[in-house]
Amino acid sequence: MRIGALSVRARLTLWHAGVLTLVICVFAGGVLLFVRARLYRALDDQIRADLATIDRVYREETGDLGELALRMGTRFEVTEGATVIYRTTGWPPVGTASFRQSTMADATHRIRVARDEGPVRQTLWTLAVIMATAIPCAVGLAVAGGYLLAGRMLAPVGALADTARKITAESLSARLPVANPGDEFGRLAAIFNETLARLDAAFEQLRRFTADASHELRTPLTAIRSVGEVALQRSLSAEGYREVIGSMLEEVDRLTRLVENLLLLTRAEAGRIPLTRVTVDLRELVAAVSDGLRVLAEEKNQDLTVQLDGGVTAHCDAGVLRQGITNLLYNAIKYTPQHGVIRVAATSTVGGDAVIEVQDTGPGIPAADHQRVFERFYRVDHARSRQTGGTGLGLAIARWAVEANGGRIELESLEGRGTLFRVVLPRS
Amino acid sequence: MRVLVVEDERKVAKALREGLEAEHYDVRVASSGEEGFFLVNNEMFDCVVLDLMLPHRDGLEILATVRKRGLQTPVLILTAKDTINDRVRGLDSGADDYLVKPFAIPELLARIRALLRRGRTDQVLKLQHEDLEMDLVTRKVARAGQAIELTVKEFEILEYLLRHVGRVVSREMLTRDVWHVAARATPLDNVIDVSIARLRRKIDDSFPVKLLQTVRGVGFVLRRERG
Repeated sequence: MRIGALSVRARLTLWHAGVLTLVICVFAGGVLLFVRARLYRALDDQIRADLATIDRVYREETGDLGELALRMGTRFEVTEGATVIYRTTGWPPVGTASFRQSTMADATHRIRVARDEGPVRQTLWTLAVIMATAIPCAVGLAVAGGYLLAGRMLAPVGALADTARKITAESLSARLPVANPGDEFGRLAAIFNETLARLDAAFEQLRRFTADASHELRTPLTAIRSVGEVALQRSLSAEGYREVIGSMLEEVDRLTRLVENLLLLTRAEAGRIPLTRVTVDLRELVAAVSDGLRVLAEEKNQDLTVQLDGGVTAHCDAGVLRQGITNLLYNAIKYTPQHGVIRVAATSTVGGDAVIEVQDTGPGIPAADHQRVFERFYRVDHARSRQTGGTGLGLAIARWAVEANGGRIELESLEGRGTLFRVVLPRS
Repeated sequence: MRVLVVEDERKVAKALREGLEAEHYDVRVASSGEEGFFLVNNEMFDCVVLDLMLPHRDGLEILATVRKRGLQTPVLILTAKDTINDRVRGLDSGADDYLVKPFAIPELLARIRALLRRGRTDQVLKLQHEDLEMDLVTRKVARAGQAIELTVKEFEILEYLLRHVGRVVSREMLTRDVWHVAARATPLDNVIDVSIARLRRKIDDSFPVKLLQTVRGVGFVLRRERG
């Protein structure tokens, strides 16, 4: 079985056990080597001491060597040239046990000492046996403990998965429980919840959009239908029929415009509108848009001032941006009352960003609506929207037009004081 | 003038036939690609109106075949697809002009007139309707001998109306041909309405006979008031 196919819990446990075993083995090996070195050094020290003792006894009282051999229990041999002065029993040391030997010699005599390594080996062997039995037990315990611990640690993940599985498009408002917001799982749950919230908002927006779109599409359809049906029930003069048909055509116009706008937005959102971005003189663009819409402001006796700084350019698609600015200015004129003031300006910031401002003295937009005015079909004042006309898509298109060109659109508004839309196009 | 309409949608075909016949064209309607292909190969037409989405045989295919055989008949295509690529494809296949559905009949008629006029040099220096005169060289406008001051835009609108005198001009036509805005999603209708109202004030208000009429739901037309 591949490691990857195992559960996270099993993998955690295996890794844990593996690492632990490795560490313990290295440690045990280290201990054995250390103890072994220590024991042999002690043995060597003892042999050196034996040599010194034997040497002293040999120099002072050669005859006492037998007594010494009895007392020390060490095997040794003292020779002078080829003559053996003294030799304990069992010399030379051979047989099953191994001996550690050492020699001390000078011009006249030579002393050789041998000590049995048995006790040292025995001690090392005992130590090795203890370790060999204790290590598997310790590892086994650690694995069991690790498995239990991993299970306990991973339990929240299982719970998260269970809860997440229950969340569908219909129950996006549900949230995962966050046990401890500080730990990893808490953060995971929190991130998941944020994603859910965004999804929920997106779905909500889609639901609203669908409802709004069907409303906007049905209204003209209903008008066409009822106007036609009512006209057919009565006999009208030619002029009367012309009126009826004209009224139906007006609704068709409205429907056509709505569909055009929706198509534009849908294509834009799908990224299917190719932009041709070149360096555009924004003063020219703003002047052209203002000139185009000036008649509307004049009809309402509004004061439309255009303020253009020198050399404001941006790297953008002129046609698309122009449409966006047109929509902004069109709205400004539409919502500003008679004799109001509208200001359009193209300037550049110190940093070199191009800025286009469209400011009106209309009713303003409540702070709560600042984000939502850019949504499709969103209207601040639903009651008034039928009379003022429009598709409710102008600002959505404006936002797309600006953002597609790498810019952003800002909104400042005070209720009752007017609104300022600021388009910022970063320096190319 | 003989016009062939290749359109499978029955209602649209009927409307096209009636609209064209009202302008005194001789109209043949083909309701499938096969039939259109046959007619175009066997009869002479001055103009072809071709729907691109046809059963059995794609409109573009017909168009390409016709052009390959060297027929120079002007072709106007109708399409529900209006992305740049579709237009380019249509024009590349040899179409002379295109209209995106839904289109206005007055606009279709204007396009056909333009196609039939194409190639003929009619350098007009003066336009006139009733007692309204426009001098295209000096750019002066007068009614009943009385000079009228117009802004540039108003002059262009009036010129357009005079060139289509007696025929309805839709807002879409003005948007495209006078304002030169291709995007159909631009809020220009109010601008057009205001401009027309101002033009009317200048050319009609002080005269008993009104010339600039609004046709509700369709557009504007330069003609004498209906008695």
